[in-house]
Amino acid sequence: MEPPNLYPVKLYVYDLSKGLARRLSPIMLGKQLEGIWHTSIVVHKDEFFFGSGGISSCPPGGTLLGPPDSVVDVGSTEVTEEIFLEYLSSLGESLFRGEAYNLFEHNCNTFSNEVAQFLTGRKIPSYITDLPSEVLSTPFGQALRPLLDSIQIQPPGGNTVGRPNGQS
Amino acid sequence: MPHVSARTLRMAQSGCPTNLSADKTISSSVTRVIVKTPGKQQDFTVADDTSMRQFKEKLSAHFDCQMDQLVLVFMGRLLRDHDTLRQRGILDGHTIHLVIKSKHGSQPLAHSSQNLPINEPCHWNGSTKGNSSEVHQPAGINQAPVESPLFVEPEMPKVNTQNLEAGSPGHMAQMLDNPSIQQLLSNTDLMRQFISEHPEMQQLMQQNPEVSHILDNSEILWQTLELARNIAIIQEIMQIQQTAQNLEHPQNSQPPLGLETIPGRDNALGQSYADFNDQMTNNLQDTFGGNIFTALLSGQVPEQVQSSPSPPPPSQERRDQLPQLPTTRVIYTSSCGLSAANATPSRVNHTARVSAATISTKGRSHTCAIQQPVGVPALPSIEPTQQHQAEGKDDISLSKSDQRLEDDLQLSDEQTSSQITGSMTQLLMNNPCLAAQMMLFMSMPQLSEQWRQQMPTFLLQTQLSDLLLSLANPKASQAILQIERGLQLLATEAPALLPWVAPYLWGLGWLPDPSCSYPDMTPSSWDVPDTADPKGPEGCHKSGAVLQRLHSLAEEPSQSLQAPEICFSKQMESLQAMGFGNHHANLQALIDTKGDTSAAIRKLKRSQRF
Repeated sequence: MEPPNLYPVKLYVYDLSKGLARRLSPIMLGKQLEGIWHTSIVVHKDEFFFGSGGISSCPPGGTLLGPPDSVVDVGSTEVTEEIFLEYLSSLGESLFRGEAYNLFEHNCNTFSNEVAQFLTGRKIPSYITDLPSEVLSTPFGQALRPLLDSIQIQPPGGNTVGRPNGQS
Repeated sequence: MPHVSARTLRMAQSGCPTNLSADKTISSSVTRVIVKTPGKQQDFTVADDTSMRQFKEKLSAHFDCQMDQLVLVFMGRLLRDHDTLRQRGILDGHTIHLVIKSKHGSQPLAHSSQNLPINEPCHWNGSTKGNSSEVHQPAGINQAPVESPLFVEPEMPKVNTQNLEAGSPGHMAQMLDNPSIQQLLSNTDLMRQFISEHPEMQQLMQQNPEVSHILDNSEILWQTLELARNIAIIQEIMQIQQTAQNLEHPQNSQPPLGLETIPGRDNALGQSYADFNDQMTNNLQDTFGGNIFTALLSGQVPEQVQSSPSPPPPSQERRDQLPQLPTTRVIYTSSCGLSAANATPSRVNHTARVSAATISTKGRSHTCAIQQPVGVPALPSIEPTQQHQAEGKDDISLSKSDQRLEDDLQLSDEQTSSQITGSMTQLLMNNPCLAAQMMLFMSMPQLSEQWRQQMPTFLLQTQLSDLLLSLANPKASQAILQIERGLQLLATEAPALLPWVAPYLWGLGWLPDPSCSYPDMTPSSWDVPDTADPKGPEGCHKSGAVLQRLHSLAEEPSQSLQAPEICFSKQMESLQAMGFGNHHANLQALIDTKGDTSAAIRKLKRSQRF
């Protein structure tokens, strides 16, 4: 039997603060944060991310954020594009609907982590997934929590991934 | 790292890290695996040597689906039917991912990535991928920040249209159906804010005051946004693009516009369309025949007002370029109602070009035309949202390729050197020659004379920065408003006194026609209504916009409680200055349009026509 195709899986990491977090976090939060991370998974030559509009996709680096600040190699997967899209569709209907978005609990990095584990069995680096708890553990973060909770991030430039036919 | 439970760790540490058979002897032959499917997960306890096939049988019973719908993934590897748990190293507590395929197969992504170059900046807002299979605008960059899904994707290779066209309408429809997007698109204020805050748009507005006109014109904005929301229209546009780009011969009859789907199509559209048609035929019957573009190109040059000699336009090049222009349509242009009805040949050239071109603004065309007669002015990167919004309020104009545009932009930058922010008055005040030339170009002999006369006095009277500062002072704006009201009162009560206060009137935005200094000018002063129309509203709208800004600065929110005559006093003055003498009709129009001057003007004009 021929060896199955392996598709590389990458994690695109964007700093939403464009460097401001690194400079201002010691003053504002009392601890050093390297950035406010937004991540997306790139596989099958497409970038997938989760925002307040649900799961979206675009060509790699195709959101308004531009090219990523860093790229992490997650591994490789045998999952084909077709299966992956099915998976995303059902994710988008269940766990990752747009209204489920929450900046602290259920954000783009949650999605990236989930998808990375599906595709490769590996999680994304912990400095990304630990960010919300890092912020919330500061008095500043606690104070701003109500405000921050209401923030919804949706990088423009993507198309919603879904099943327009509404099939189950 | 794989999900490893504590038990498995202990087992591994017991000295048999890789020996699965040893694990088997230590633990039971049964493995508890977690099967995770989007939305839920479930524990399953199966024997180590269970084959995938057997496992799938079990799962299909549990999840109530066919076996061939199941796809099992572990550590990124697809599990084949003949694999066993042990073979793949699936230990206790590991997670197997399950995907249940839908019966009809998944929907391909709207943007098949193989069709598009990666990391191209013009994909930023690429949502209507299949929308513009025929669009050829080179390097047009979509930079509108608006999340509208409506951008025409530039540089879509023709070859790959099939997939895209099949996929895109569904996606487009899906996106447009999204109520939040609908809401966003219907909020004209928000959209306008979005657009005007965009840096490129601001740049555009600096160079081209007409664009601000367009944005201020709520009706155009609303119609455009409605257009944008309606996918049927977009599909028609696609068809029109195709027909337009296949133009090989001059068309006296416009390609079918498919106006059926445009809701609320008003007479203005049809009328201006008819006018447009007439203009085109007239023009074409002149000396120019053959390709419509040559007609336009040749016709444009002698129309230039600028005395400086200009190199003959590389008409060939332009002709080649023109068919490539994205052609989002005459629909947009005409729907403003104030368009195309102009007798001047230069105008016609401009308008005629629309048949195959996109929209930009009249002012832009003038600006560029003045400064670089060769240049075929256009809207930059007709970011199609900007296309939609950038309707020529008073005129249809041209579009062109990006390179041309760069040249024009540079030239216009050089000539309009000062930083221009905000209102159009600033532009004109900073560039009196530009303003004068614009007036000339619009071939309005009567009013242009007046403008040229009054321009220097106006400039002397007002210094730009002082004006701005004083406008910012709310008390000052209130004072000015009081003056306005007083003047209006004066106009109605004692019109004979008006000539005495004419300079002040002009400074505050009145434009008394030289032939008649009384406010109740009859429409007959507009003996060439076509030519007059664009000039008047345009000129007055500019000052009207300033006044309206003043108005909003100084007016309390309780405006709505006041009598309409009071709260529309600003607009009434503008209307009167423009020549709409019928006080009651003006008031009625303003009430109907809720104080929107430009809409009221259109209303009044329409009623005047019939």
